[in-house]
Amino acid sequence: MFPRAFHYHRAGSLKEAATMLSQLGPEAKLLAGGQSLIPLMKLRFAGPPHLVDLNFIPGAAYVKQDAGGLRVGALTCHADIEDSPAAAAIPILHDCAAGIADVQIRNRGTIGGSLAEADPSGDWAPVLLTLNADVRCLGPKGERTVPISKFVVDAYTSALGEDELIIEVLIQAPPKSSGGAYIAFKRSAPVYASASAAVRLAMEDGVCRDAAIVLGAVGLTPVRALEAEAALRNNQVTAKTMEAAAEAARAAADPQPDMRGSAEYKRQLVTALVKRGLEVALKRARGEKVELSHIYA
Amino acid sequence: MADQDKSNGQKRWVGQRVPRKEEGRLLRGQGKFIDDIKLREMLYLAFVRSPYAHARVVNVNTSAAEALPGVAAVLTGREVESLTSPFIEIGPDQCQKIADYPMAGSKARFQGEPVAAVVAESPRLAEDAAELVQVDYDPLPAVTDAEQAEKNESILHENAGTNVVWRGVFEYGDVEKAFREAASVVEIDRLHFHRFSSTPLEPNVIIAQWDNKDGRLYYWCNNSFPSFAIQFLAPHLRIHIDQIRVQTFDIGGSFGIKITNYTQMAVCALASRKCGGRPVKWVETRTEHMLSSAHGNERTFLNTRVALDKNGVITAIDSRHIDDCGAYPRYEPLGCVIWSQVFPGVYRFRNAKIDFTQVVTNKCPVGPNRGYSRMQHLWFLERICDICAHELKIPADEMRLRNYIRPEEMPYTTPNGCVYDSGNYPKMLEVGKKLIGWDEWKRKQAEARKDGRLIGIGIGTTLDSGTNNFGQSQIINPYAPFSGNSQGANVKLDIYGEIVVAVGSCPQGQGHETTAAQIVADLLNVTPDLITVRTGFDTERNVHTGFSGTYASQFAVSGLSAVHGAAQKLKKEMLRLAAFTLNAKEDELELGIGAQGPEVRVRGTERSIPYGGLANIVNVNSAVMPEELHEITLNCRYIWRAPFKVPDKAKKYGNLTLTYASQLHIAVLEVDRDTYVPRILDYVAVDDCGTVINPPIVEGQVYGATAHGIGAALMEGCFYDEVGNMLTSTFSDYTPITSVNMPNVKFGDIQTPSPHSFNGAKGMGEGGAAPIHTLSAALQDALFDKGIIIDDSFNNGDRVYHLMQQAGKGKKPARVKPRAVPA
Repeated sequence: MFPRAFHYHRAGSLKEAATMLSQLGPEAKLLAGGQSLIPLMKLRFAGPPHLVDLNFIPGAAYVKQDAGGLRVGALTCHADIEDSPAAAAIPILHDCAAGIADVQIRNRGTIGGSLAEADPSGDWAPVLLTLNADVRCLGPKGERTVPISKFVVDAYTSALGEDELIIEVLIQAPPKSSGGAYIAFKRSAPVYASASAAVRLAMEDGVCRDAAIVLGAVGLTPVRALEAEAALRNNQVTAKTMEAAAEAARAAADPQPDMRGSAEYKRQLVTALVKRGLEVALKRARGEKVELSHIYA
Repeated sequence: MADQDKSNGQKRWVGQRVPRKEEGRLLRGQGKFIDDIKLREMLYLAFVRSPYAHARVVNVNTSAAEALPGVAAVLTGREVESLTSPFIEIGPDQCQKIADYPMAGSKARFQGEPVAAVVAESPRLAEDAAELVQVDYDPLPAVTDAEQAEKNESILHENAGTNVVWRGVFEYGDVEKAFREAASVVEIDRLHFHRFSSTPLEPNVIIAQWDNKDGRLYYWCNNSFPSFAIQFLAPHLRIHIDQIRVQTFDIGGSFGIKITNYTQMAVCALASRKCGGRPVKWVETRTEHMLSSAHGNERTFLNTRVALDKNGVITAIDSRHIDDCGAYPRYEPLGCVIWSQVFPGVYRFRNAKIDFTQVVTNKCPVGPNRGYSRMQHLWFLERICDICAHELKIPADEMRLRNYIRPEEMPYTTPNGCVYDSGNYPKMLEVGKKLIGWDEWKRKQAEARKDGRLIGIGIGTTLDSGTNNFGQSQIINPYAPFSGNSQGANVKLDIYGEIVVAVGSCPQGQGHETTAAQIVADLLNVTPDLITVRTGFDTERNVHTGFSGTYASQFAVSGLSAVHGAAQKLKKEMLRLAAFTLNAKEDELELGIGAQGPEVRVRGTERSIPYGGLANIVNVNSAVMPEELHEITLNCRYIWRAPFKVPDKAKKYGNLTLTYASQLHIAVLEVDRDTYVPRILDYVAVDDCGTVINPPIVEGQVYGATAHGIGAALMEGCFYDEVGNMLTSTFSDYTPITSVNMPNVKFGDIQTPSPHSFNGAKGMGEGGAAPIHTLSAALQDALFDKGIIIDDSFNNGDRVYHLMQQAGKGKKPARVKPRAVPA
C-alpha cells in the first residue's frame, strides 16, 4: 500500500498549476482531494511520475451566488457543498453532496476532482446534466467554458486538454416551479452506486413543461433517458406517466454486470430510482420541502 | 458493584457488569499491536502473488529486484521447497500426499498465492522490488466449483491424484426404516452455503527474527492459535519446537481467520534467516487479506430427503454434503467432523445419514471462520425445518416446538454420542416471541399481504459448541495424534504481594483480562482492579498447552477453569503459610482487604498478615520457613484437562464438545417491492451461554456475531468468476456490513447453567451464525407462497430479484411426497 515514487509539485495558483501541467507533460496528474487517485496509486494501478498539488491554492474552494448563478470552486469539497446555504436553494445539489460515500471522503473529495475523473459511477455528472451546468476550464492558452453535456466524453475521459484543469462549476438556478432529485442505490455507504438517477421536472399548471432524466453508473458515461423525458413532457405527472418514464429509463440503461449487481438487476434499480426521484422532484416542484436519502442495501 | 454473597457475606464479582480492564488502553488507542513494534535493523517483506488461479510457475527471475538498492533478499517458492519440509497434513491417505508449502514452487493453485517474497529496507522499497520480480506462468484450467472439482477433470495436487480431500459417511439409527414408516417425505434437490470471511480490523501482521546469536526463532505476531502454529512450524522449518518463541499482544480481531497465518510466519522466518538474522516485518494489506489469508467453508447439500411423521416431527434425514476447502487443506479436513458436534442441531430426530465429502478448488484456502463448519450444517438443518414446515403447512414456531430437544431431556445424548449439557429451546422461543411481539407482527404481516407487501417472519435456532474434544480428529484420520483438550494458567503472589495471572490465551477483544480477574477476585476476596492479568500468548510464560490460543468458543470454560484451578492452588498455599506465621489453624483464617490492603487474618481477631508479607517470606525471606513448608511457591501453575474420551472411530461416536451455548434469533423483514432488498424491520437475539460471568462482554459478543451474520446473509461473500479471479478482493466489492446496514437488535437472555463447567458457564462468541439461518427463514416466509425456496445462504436484493423472476419456472426445488400412513 505504498505508491511508486513520484515528484511532488505544489501549485500556488490555478494558472501556475496549468503551467506546471504543460511543462511536466501528459503523465503528470493533478492532486485535488485524492479520493480516487491516491487509492489507485497505493494499489499501484496508477503510477504518475509527477503530482501537481492543488490543495494550497488560495481561493479555489467556495460556493457563492451571484448574478451569473451559483459558482462552485473546483476545489470545493463535497462536505462544504452539503453544508452550503447557497447550494441549499437547489435541493438536488444537497442530495448529491450529502450522499457521496462517507464523511471522511466528503471532507476530502472535491467537485472538480470528481468531474475530471469522469468515473462512470461518479455522482456529480448526472446531477449537473439535469441542471445544464457549465464547467470553466483553464489552460495555458486561457479560459474556456464547456457545457457539462460536452464535458463528459467517455469512461474516465473528460473534455479537458492535457494541460487544462477545471476551475469552477457554474450552475444556473432552475426556474421556479421546477424540482429536482438525485437518488442512488448503494450496497454500503463508502462504495459507488449500483445505479443512480438524477431527475428534474419543470411544471406549469400541473403539466410537465420540461423534464431531464439522467442515469448514473449504468453506462460508460451518464445516460440521458430521452424517451423517459418524452414520456413526461407536456403531460401530467401521474403514477401512470411516471411508471412509463421509469420503464423507458430501464430500456435506456446500458449496465455492465459486476459485484454491484447483474445487468438485469441494475435495470430494475433504474426503474425504482427514477420513480422515487420523480415523486420527490414533483413535490419539490410544488414547493414542498422533501429530504431525500440514497437507498442502502 | 459487587453483590453480597448470601453464604459468607463476601462480595462476588462473577456475574457483575465489571467494566473491562482492557477498555481504557484500547479505547485510547494505546493498545500494543504488532505494527506498533519497531525493532532495530528491521526489514520489510512484500509478496509477489500469482494472478492466476491455477498455473505452472515456469520461471521466476529475481535479478532486477535483487539489483534494486535497499533490497536485502528475494525468496522464491522453489527455494522455500528446498529449505523446508511440507507442512503437516491432518488428513489421512491422499491428504498425506499433498505437499503444502507457504509459497508456490512449481505450481500456483489460487489467485493471490505467493510465489516470491522480497525483503527490503522499507515497505515501499519492498513493494517497488516486488514489481520487478518477473514470473512466467503457464496457465492451467481452474476449477472453482466443488461439484466440478469432485469430477477430477483438473487436479490441483497431482501427487494426491484426486481433488477429494476426505470422504466419510455418518450414519446413525435406522434411516431406511424411518423412511419406510414416514407419513411424508420432503425432498430438497440442492442447498448451498456461500463462502464469506471475517474481515478483522487488523489484518495479519508478523515480525520474525531468526536470531543468529542464539539460533532461536522469535515471533511477534497476531496468530490466534499459536500453540497450533508452532506445532506446524517446527517440523516444517526442521527445528525443535523449543527453539521458537512466540509472543502475541493485543489483536485486532481474528474470528479464527488468523489461525492459518502460520504459512506467512514460515516465510518471514526464512527471510530473516536469509538476511543474517535481521528482524523481518510483514503487514498484510486489506486486498491481500481478502485475496489470500483465509475464507470460510463453502458447502453444497445435495439430494436431501427428510422423513416426517404425521405430526410433522422429523424422523430421519438423508443427504450428501460437499465442502469446498479451497486450494490447500491446512486446518482441514477437521471441518469434515467438526460439524458433527451439532449433528442433530436442536432437534430430536435419531436417524440420519450424511455422506460427507470435502474437495480442493482453485480458491483461497479456508480457515476456521467464526461458526466454523457447524454453522453450515446448522443452516442446512434450519432450512430443512422451515422448508418442511412450509410444505406441510405447519407454522414455523409450532414446527420447532414439535421438533426441539426438550429441556427435561438435558443432558441430551445425540445420535452420534455428543452430550448437550443444558439448554431450554422452547423457553428461548417464548422469550424471543415476546420480545419481538410475535402475535402483533403476525397480524401486521397478514394485513400487509392484502396490500401485496411481502413481509416474512423467521426463526433461527442454533448452537455454539465450545471446548472441542480434539479426539474428533481421529474420526477423520485414525492415526491423528490428538485427543482431549486442556488449557494452562498461572497465578502468583509476586514479591510485594501483587496478584499476577498469566493465561495461555490470546484474546482479540473477548475481555479475558476482565473475566480472569473476576474469577480470581472472588477466590482471593479482593477487587478485580488489584489483579494484573497477563494475556497474549508467550511460549516463555510456560502456561500454554498444545491447545492454547483463543478460538472455538471456549475461554469461559477451558481458560477460566485453568485460572480457577491455579488460583485455588495459590489460595491453599497462602492459607497454609499464613497458618504457620499467624500460629493458627487454616480453618480459622479468612482472606479479605484490611487497613493495609489484602490480608489473611484470624477470623474475629486483629492478627493478620498482608499478602505482601506472605510473598516476602517465600521469595526473599525464606530462612524463616520451616522445611515442611518449602514446597510452597505462591507461584501456582495449573493445567485444566477436559473430561473427554477418545471417540469410537469406526462408529464415529463420542462426545465431541463440552458445552453447547444456544441462540434463538427472530427477524421480521420486508422485501422492498422496487429494489427487492430484504429490509429488516425488527430483530431479536436471545442468547443462552449458561452462567454469565460478565454481561456486557456477552452482550458485545452477541451484537458482534449478529452483525457478522447479518452481513454474511445479505451483503458479504467471497465470489470468484469461472476462471478463478476473485471478484471481491476489496471492501468496495466485498462490502462488509457497517452501522448504516444494521438494524436495532433487541437482546434477550436465559441462563441454563452448564453441569460440565466449574462455574456453569459455556463458551460463546461464535454465535452459530444465527442471523444467516434466521434471515433465510424470514425470506422463505415472505416468499413461500410465490413458490420460492430459499436455497442459498446469501440473499441480497439482486438474488431475491432473480428468485422472484424465476419463480414458478422449471422444477420446484423442494417437494413433499405424502405417503400412506402405516397402520
